[in-house]
Amino acid sequence: MIALLALFPFSGAESWIVNIGIFTLMYAVLGSAWNLIGGYTGYVSLGSVAFFGLGAYGLALTFQHIGIGNGFLPFALVPLIGIAVAIISLPIGWIAFRTRGLPFIIVTISLVIILQYMALNLTDVTGGAPGLQVPQAPFPPGTYEEYFYWAMLVVFAVTLLACAYVRRSRLGLMMFAVREDEDKARGLGVATSVPKYAAFAGCAAFSAMAGAVWAYYLSTVYPQFAFDGEFLAMGIILVAYLGGIGTLWGPFVGALILTPAQQYFAYSLGGSQLYLIAYAAVFIVVMLFLPRGVMTTFADRALRRSRRRKQVVEELATAESESPRDAPSPVVAR
Amino acid sequence: MLSTGMRLRSWTLAIGLCVGVAACGTPAPTSSSSTTKGPLTIGISVSLTGDFSNTGKAAQLGYQLWASQINAKGGILGRQVQLSFADDASSPTQVVTNYQNFISRDKVDLVFGPYSSLLTLAAAKVANRYGYAFVEGAGNGPSVFAAHLPNLIDAGPATAINGAQVWGDYILSLPADQRPKTAAYPSLDDPFSQPAAAALQARFEAAGIKTVYSQTYPAETTSLGGVIAKVASANPDMVVSGSQDADGWAQVQAMIQQKFNPKFLFMTNGPENPVDFPKNVGAQNTQGIFTSDVWTYSAPIPGNSAFVQAYIAKYGGTASQIDSTSAQTYAVGQLIEAVAAKTGKIDNQTIISTLHQGSYQTVVGIVSVDQYGAPKGSQFLEEWIGGKLTIVYPPSIAEQAPVIPKPTWP
Amino acid sequence: MHLLVQAIILGVLTGGLYALMTSGLTLTFGTMRIINMAQGVFVVCGAYIAFTLFNYLHIDPFLSILVSTPLLFAIGFTLQTFLLKPIRHDAHRLSLLMTWAMAIGLEGILSFIFGTDFRGILTTYQNSSWTIAGYEIPVVRALAFALSVAILVGMYLLLTRTKFGRSVRAVSQRESAAKLLGVNTDRTAALAFGLGAATAGAAGAMFGLVSSFDPASHYDLIGRLLAICVIGGLGSNAGAIAGAVILALSESVVQAEFSPAWSSVPFYVLLIIVLIARPQGLFGVRTRGAI
Repeated sequence: MIALLALFPFSGAESWIVNIGIFTLMYAVLGSAWNLIGGYTGYVSLGSVAFFGLGAYGLALTFQHIGIGNGFLPFALVPLIGIAVAIISLPIGWIAFRTRGLPFIIVTISLVIILQYMALNLTDVTGGAPGLQVPQAPFPPGTYEEYFYWAMLVVFAVTLLACAYVRRSRLGLMMFAVREDEDKARGLGVATSVPKYAAFAGCAAFSAMAGAVWAYYLSTVYPQFAFDGEFLAMGIILVAYLGGIGTLWGPFVGALILTPAQQYFAYSLGGSQLYLIAYAAVFIVVMLFLPRGVMTTFADRALRRSRRRKQVVEELATAESESPRDAPSPVVAR
Repeated sequence: MLSTGMRLRSWTLAIGLCVGVAACGTPAPTSSSSTTKGPLTIGISVSLTGDFSNTGKAAQLGYQLWASQINAKGGILGRQVQLSFADDASSPTQVVTNYQNFISRDKVDLVFGPYSSLLTLAAAKVANRYGYAFVEGAGNGPSVFAAHLPNLIDAGPATAINGAQVWGDYILSLPADQRPKTAAYPSLDDPFSQPAAAALQARFEAAGIKTVYSQTYPAETTSLGGVIAKVASANPDMVVSGSQDADGWAQVQAMIQQKFNPKFLFMTNGPENPVDFPKNVGAQNTQGIFTSDVWTYSAPIPGNSAFVQAYIAKYGGTASQIDSTSAQTYAVGQLIEAVAAKTGKIDNQTIISTLHQGSYQTVVGIVSVDQYGAPKGSQFLEEWIGGKLTIVYPPSIAEQAPVIPKPTWP
Repeated sequence: MHLLVQAIILGVLTGGLYALMTSGLTLTFGTMRIINMAQGVFVVCGAYIAFTLFNYLHIDPFLSILVSTPLLFAIGFTLQTFLLKPIRHDAHRLSLLMTWAMAIGLEGILSFIFGTDFRGILTTYQNSSWTIAGYEIPVVRALAFALSVAILVGMYLLLTRTKFGRSVRAVSQRESAAKLLGVNTDRTAALAFGLGAATAGAAGAMFGLVSSFDPASHYDLIGRLLAICVIGGLGSNAGAIAGAVILALSESVVQAEFSPAWSSVPFYVLLIIVLIARPQGLFGVRTRGAI
């Protein structure tokens, strides 16, 4: 699948399609990264955007202070930024994990607000409201987008591999245990802070890497866009929900449906001011009719069909369902 | 506006994208390349939703008025002008997509700028990659020109910093005993207002006017009571407010509530709106407040009264309801028209090279830009006198001499 | 010193209004265990209702509370019935996005009707202030504070002295037990959500008086309101009031004495300190699974 995605720019796709492809992959990365904390451990976080913004500023600041040129070198910097932000996220996680449930959500929102304040006010470091400029890459206009597309794709592949690995490992089991009942898990001797911090730092690292590529692609960084607690934060969660929370490919599917549609509506509904209403309507339809997400819903359906045919229940349920919570209850099967 | 045919094709392409990703390798249909015979298509992204949407609609009205006028005259070099608008939802990600779509999908002939410095740069860089000229009417903060883009041209007569300098010119033209001795500079933290106030502060300090307060407040500050309380306690002769709109009203309201009345009150933005300003601070409270502006319906600029009449004929209302953003975007069109008239050609390279030289008359004054598109001119000074926004400086175009000091709040 | 006292006066007056806005959020959290991201836009709706009534029918904004409150109650009740009730099986997670969708949907509708220009309500007493012992007390803020306190007292009486109040408290303490005791939990939830929106309607009319607004104003509002909730303790009315006053007071004092650019930062620093020392908030109760 990743290989197919890598070939996509060679399919004769024009720049504008590759451009939408970049943003689609960006949301796929952000959604998958969010899935680690929100989907696997059940800690609904709006803090992804904070790390996205840190990644964006990390790249822009490196340009300002070190002068890394504007060719391919900045791409090499992306993983370093990811690691740095992951380290920064640990003390933040220490504060945030003192709460859980709804207060945790609000703490993560506050984190975005605080960082936006800092970006605006630490003018000596961040440039303040006028933002930071990153030099444009010297790629030819016809293929300019493709490099960023591949960069974002690599980030996505790494994110996906990490998620796939986690799901199969003991770590993933610990994450799911935290989601199901954290107190019980701790009572049973699970070191619950390990999966929680791992998910939080992983989410931070991948979000920051997406932010760094985004900053280089747009080549401008402003506080209110890098730390966009409004549309970006909610858009990430919507992508994960639409695709199917806790599933491996769910956020990608969600991003593939939502991002092109969103970008297209804003482009073509111009002049009608209906954009916000249309966007809200999509949210509501997803919540009412697909609350378990596209991937989970289809997995359920496939499962039900095969059950009817084979009358086999238990093995398939574990083989096909993506995670413990998403396993359909036996009541569903007729 | 996109035609139905184009819309259908876009849908096919959007679906094609999804199919293309899933099946991978299906070549996307190619768009027809532009011809030089057909209409002159122009892509413009405006903010109709989000943080910068206040003026997005006004920007659209100015562009549309220009297009309908030029088309009635037979178009540019015989080509009818066709405008395509897209909503950027005040987001840089969307603005990049929109200009990318305009240029590489719809293959428009020209693009014009969006509103706000924050979106201008992201969009201008896309246009720059493709060698498109980027003429814009509303992104004149210093960061826009600091990016040193060769394709960018600001259609205003002055940058945000230079625009406010007319207040400095006026104050320093006063005899020393009439000048304020102390000054306060409360500014909104944004890329236009704060640099303008800071530039004035530097100039006034050099001239010996003592700074007693200089702070910025964030955009989401809803109550400026504390800021004004501090300003009032320093009791300066002059307040230079680096304001936008709503925060400017809030400053005035707080000053009245706290019964603080500076002898000189200059605001970079807010009072220049002849409708909203008196409506929100009270018409009786406007007396003696100064601001600078590029355009007003009564400004003695060649072509301005014709523009005002045409605007009213097309959209109704009264002259005082016209937003200066509409005049600025109208001026963008006038520049394009001027290029065609001067060179007999209308392509991006010609526009870039032509507009970087010489000066051009528009409804917002004479436009002349430097190598990075920054306009070299200045704005004029306005004062609210007797409930009317009056041009008071420079004397060459003043309708009346400035009235100082500011009377106490009624 | 004079400046400090002046800033404290302004801060306390603003805090009263925030407390009223937050009380609705606390109520819906208490009864339904959801965060209502639409509370900010409900406030903005209240402001637009007051704006419309003032500009077209010349009704005083304080009187327009009599219209905005029942209207917002109806909007809240309807939205709860059609959009929140169907997702109650997983309300804990889905409600965040659902109420967010309500918020941007209502923002879109407001933009469509009123446009996106900043609006303000200019009454004859808008800029007047009383001078007491050398301190300026803006009339609108003082009246808004007094009325907010009155409504909060009314809410308190409603929750402690009436049958509805008892069922709300029963549901917020233990929903399943309340159900067994014959409390109609669905109806209680709808009424509570409606009531939460109604407080926003009342607060909104006054918000429109003390500051200008546009449809997008709700983003800033909801951020503040949520932070107030957490610092005070989610679901705690006393906490909401304390949090609101701390927020407004610290903003006003820092704005005047130090730097307006950093005015919100001490509040968030305090928020972090409170979370480290007392994760359930100043007045919150530690319950299993909630904190």
